Amino acid sequence: MNDDTQVLVVDDDTGIREGCCRVLRKAGYEVHSAGDGKSADDLFVRNKNFAAAVIDLQLPGMDGIELTRRMHAVDPDCVLLMMTAFASIETAVQAIKQGAYGYISKPFTPDELLLQLTNGLKKRELTLESRSLKKEREKSLLEIAQERSRCSTIIKCMADGVIVANTDRKIVLRNAAASRIFEMYRADHPQEASCTEPGSVPLPCPVSALPCAELIGLIESVFKTEEEPVIISKEVVVGEGTYMVNVSPVTEGDGTKCGVVAVLRDITARKKLETAKSMFVSMVSHEIQSPLAVAEGYLNIILNDTVAADEAQQREMINRSYLRVRALREMVSELMNLSAIDTGNFVIKRSFININEVVRCAVECMHEKAKDGKIDLFFESTNGRGSENGPVVRVFADKNAMFIVLKNIIENAVKYTPTGGSVRIAVEENGLYARIRVRDSGYGIKPDEKCKIFDEFYRSKGKLTAGIPGTGLGLCLVKKLLELQEGSVSVESVYGKGSEFTVCVPIER
Amino acid sequence: MQRKRECIVLIDDDRDFLEMNRRLLEEKGYSVSCFDDSDEAMRAMHCIKPDLVVTDLMMAGLDSGFKLSQKIKQDPMLGDVPVIIVTAASSLQGFSFNPHSQGEFESLNADAYFDKPVSTHIFLKRVRELIDKKGEAGRER
Ligand SMILES: Nc1ncnc2c1ncn2[C@@H]1O[C@H](COP(=O)(O)OP(=O)(O)O)[C@@H](O)[C@H]1O
Ligand SMILES: [Mg+2]
Repeated sequence: MNDDTQVLVVDDDTGIREGCCRVLRKAGYEVHSAGDGKSADDLFVRNKNFAAAVIDLQLPGMDGIELTRRMHAVDPDCVLLMMTAFASIETAVQAIKQGAYGYISKPFTPDELLLQLTNGLKKRELTLESRSLKKEREKSLLEIAQERSRCSTIIKCMADGVIVANTDRKIVLRNAAASRIFEMYRADHPQEASCTEPGSVPLPCPVSALPCAELIGLIESVFKTEEEPVIISKEVVVGEGTYMVNVSPVTEGDGTKCGVVAVLRDITARKKLETAKSMFVSMVSHEIQSPLAVAEGYLNIILNDTVAADEAQQREMINRSYLRVRALREMVSELMNLSAIDTGNFVIKRSFININEVVRCAVECMHEKAKDGKIDLFFESTNGRGSENGPVVRVFADKNAMFIVLKNIIENAVKYTPTGGSVRIAVEENGLYARIRVRDSGYGIKPDEKCKIFDEFYRSKGKLTAGIPGTGLGLCLVKKLLELQEGSVSVESVYGKGSEFTVCVPIER
Repeated sequence: MQRKRECIVLIDDDRDFLEMNRRLLEEKGYSVSCFDDSDEAMRAMHCIKPDLVVTDLMMAGLDSGFKLSQKIKQDPMLGDVPVIIVTAASSLQGFSFNPHSQGEFESLNADAYFDKPVSTHIFLKRVRELIDKKGEAGRER
């Protein structure tokens, strides 16, 4: 049972030393011995595993008291048992002062020695045990403290705002994100300072001080609800921001409600996107329903004779219906193109093409329309290498996309130019880019509308251009198609005099 | 005694609707003035003093019809003129206004709403009713 307990025996008297060693070995201890203080000290320092030492007080050189002092300093838990031939209170007290466990007077029986030693070792064991228990307890206390601070650090650093209220309707916890949300609100509404819970107000402060009646209401309704468990989720507006608020009860082990926790997630950006999307949908539905309603209305008048109309008037109504339906179909195809671009499904195949050829095709398309409006539509390529079909200006672009771009711009030029005007198209090479300029002598564009005309559905509402049909999607498509090909479009215009649209496409790959 | 021809102002940025509704109303004997711009219409109305206004909802802005209706209702000279709003956005409920406009929507209450194209019979009946109601109110005062 004492198998691995090491004991050191120190005595200059060989007889006593050997005797002790024998007794202790027999009792199962692992025994080492030394004949003087110096070598005992060395041994003790080298081998740190001694549980006990039996030391003669009278030693040559370093005496027993000094040895005890040194050994105690090295290992205060080692049981130091003194042997003395002259039992005197004084030496005993001195030895114990130096850290000895006790002493035993020579001569002693083996049992006396063993009894003293066992007692000492028992005490040592108890000491060690209670120390390790204490250590463990300290360790777990430390862990709890660390865990707590970890939790509060996590809550503090969360991107979502967190507010905790107790049953007294007092806010007892609020993280940095929550403070920010309310600080921001306060900055926007300085006049409401009185009823506003600023992020910096010391806690606890009443729930009713929160600057958002809806949030206060949500917290209150979670307090009031009896059913378990309730989690109320709602979108709430605080100042400029929109937040997804989740409010849930804080319950103890037995299910009693001791508070309410509200988590506020910022969904402002998502809301903005949704608003933009639904705006777009209303625009589209309006743009689709208007021409359909016109056609339905006119045809109804004709079919049901609601209004007296002669044949010429009826023809005109049918013609208007036809034009609106045709424009609607064109708009739907433009919308499809736009949506294909936005979803990445519009296939752009760039290669080296002769842009002059594409311009010529687009001009031909508009020929008829220009003739109807007595507009002089003129294309001349001044630049480029000659070939049988005129000069060649090579660009790196998608032929189909460039056709859509140029057709739209030339169509606009013809459309927004009054009878007798002119549209001139010129192509020139300019360093890394080819430039296609489309200049008209038309109605022109007001300076503040120059950016807007590239927005979807934007159409100028001038007196002169009011009757001209269109969707407001053409230039938006033009801009997006050019962006896909590293090209660009810009406009210069003098209102009332005319406009010049310039398209740039790269020449090199 | 011959009754004076009642006057209706039509406002829409789509000239086909102006044309269509003008025909419908003139057929019934109303005198009709058409405008494609709400500011201009507002100025003209001070001279015309119409018996009824029919305006489109979505013109320069998503809710310009509401704005116009509100202006008319607040105008000291035009406050009692009934306003009909017509729109090509099929159902007003499914139509999304921004919250700001939503408030306006509830507060200003035009006298009637119609989807485009207006169903002739009901539309003309409502026009008659609103003009008659205004006439009665005017006589009582
Ligand atoms: N060459 C031009 N001259 C004057 N205005 C123009 C010209 N091109 C475009 N615009 C203005 O830009 C608006 C948007 O053009 P676009 O996107 O092609 O739509 P749409 O031609 O269908 O109206 C037009 O409604 C018009 O007011
Ligand atoms: Mg166009």
